Amino acid sequence: MTETATTAVEQAADRILAAYASGTPCAPVRDLVATPDEAYAVQERLTTTWLGEGRRLAGRKIGLTSQAVQRQLGVDTPDFGMLFADMAVPDGAEIPAGAVMQARAEAEVALVLEHDLTHERHTVADLIRATAFALPAIEIVGSRIRDWDITLADTVADNASCGMYALGNRPVRLADVDLRLCGMVLERRGEQVSTGTGTACFGHPLNAALWLADMLVRVGRPLRAGDTVLTGALGPMTAVAPGDVVEARIDGLGDVRVAFGQESAKEEDAS
Amino acid sequence: MTDVRALAAHLDGARRDGRAVGMLSASEAGLDVPVAYDVQRAGIELRRKRGERFAGVKMGFTSRAKMVQMGVDDVIWGQLTDRMLVESAADVSGLIHPRVEPEIVFLIGRDVTRAADVDTAVAGIAVGYEILDSRYDGFKFTLPDVIADNASASGFGVGAWHSPRDVANVGMLLEIDGRVVQTGSSAAILGDPVRALRAAARLATDAGIVLRAGDVVLAGAATAAVPLPKDAHVRVTGAGLGSVEVTT
Repeated sequence: MTETATTAVEQAADRILAAYASGTPCAPVRDLVATPDEAYAVQERLTTTWLGEGRRLAGRKIGLTSQAVQRQLGVDTPDFGMLFADMAVPDGAEIPAGAVMQARAEAEVALVLEHDLTHERHTVADLIRATAFALPAIEIVGSRIRDWDITLADTVADNASCGMYALGNRPVRLADVDLRLCGMVLERRGEQVSTGTGTACFGHPLNAALWLADMLVRVGRPLRAGDTVLTGALGPMTAVAPGDVVEARIDGLGDVRVAFGQESAKEEDAS
Repeated sequence: MTDVRALAAHLDGARRDGRAVGMLSASEAGLDVPVAYDVQRAGIELRRKRGERFAGVKMGFTSRAKMVQMGVDDVIWGQLTDRMLVESAADVSGLIHPRVEPEIVFLIGRDVTRAADVDTAVAGIAVGYEILDSRYDGFKFTLPDVIADNASASGFGVGAWHSPRDVANVGMLLEIDGRVVQTGSSAAILGDPVRALRAAARLATDAGIVLRAGDVVLAGAATAAVPLPKDAHVRVTGAGLGSVEVTT
């Protein structure tokens, strides 16, 4: 990598880290990084920073798994981001207001691994053998980029727009659920806001996970036993607002919910 | 004064000729929802006189998105006849601008004289598809227009019957020539297709129609409808309910 390119990657990472620090979204970073490789270099810089702060890597998320979203961004592959342990909340937890910038929610299948996936190229059989169980999940995506004004490079650099995630509590073995045809309902304040099925996620959630496993070996951060993989949305995402409760139900996998805290009174309002 | 029978004959002619017409509401100020259902009934009566027999009802606007889009807060319904039932090949050459959508279908096992009894009258559940074909230019209409046009009903097909079961969140696929073109869940049908079944019983009973053993209820679409081309192979699959296929 040239010195100029390194600088651009650093600048992009700094811009995103500043948005995290201030809680204020930043301008897109596509003026600094253009190619997927450059964007992943930005993401890797964030990852290194966060690991250096003592955060624990707990898994990965796969994004851009639906044809509709891929078309929107003009891409034909998914992307991925890093999940840290402090991003996970239990079923029913309340996420404090402002914890995720410009939050949106989507329902996903989570896979939890019991073996490493370190081959250069994995088969579905490798993946099934490595998977301990599946869980229903809600991913709360967010963007550090102002108004979600993102290209592929912007979202990849911004840790694949990852925010937080909630996992259900009942593990289900892959043999006991049809992940291709599992119906999905997402409700916000009890109102249905999204429906879908497993096929909407890159044809099958396992197809998305297989793509991820190979990619991660290539970039040097392979999936390990214990990792959680959020495989991608089963239907359209929903906007969320303070006070909302969002619930996802996935047929054969169970349900999971998460609440969003009310905005606390700001100090300037109180004065 | 709206001439209900003339309007019904106008739409019936458009359907039989495979020719789109302008919206009735453009020239009929009196076409409100009750009058529109009168037009629908008169249209079915024309078909009955040609020997077609009542086969059940179809529900429309069963998705929240569609209701909001149409600015309505209730479902609409149309009537099915035996001539609309497709076995395995659908001739779409005479249709105007056909579309197809994946459905959950209920089989009525005994006469439903009281709407409240419909749940226990269900004898079977299947995946199915509906072929829609609005008789209006550009598939565009107001609420009374689409009701008068028998809720765009054209044809339907039903897969193998399964014993009654929970179908609140059945993953569904619509494939054309082996490619997945729509994915969704039966939950898109009023949150649970059973609600569409109950609405069907209520609306039919209110209209003086008794759902009888052997009749079917098309509960509504699990996904958006897609254009149905000629020489296509269409398959609808529902989790645990198998598939139904049709070629055009």
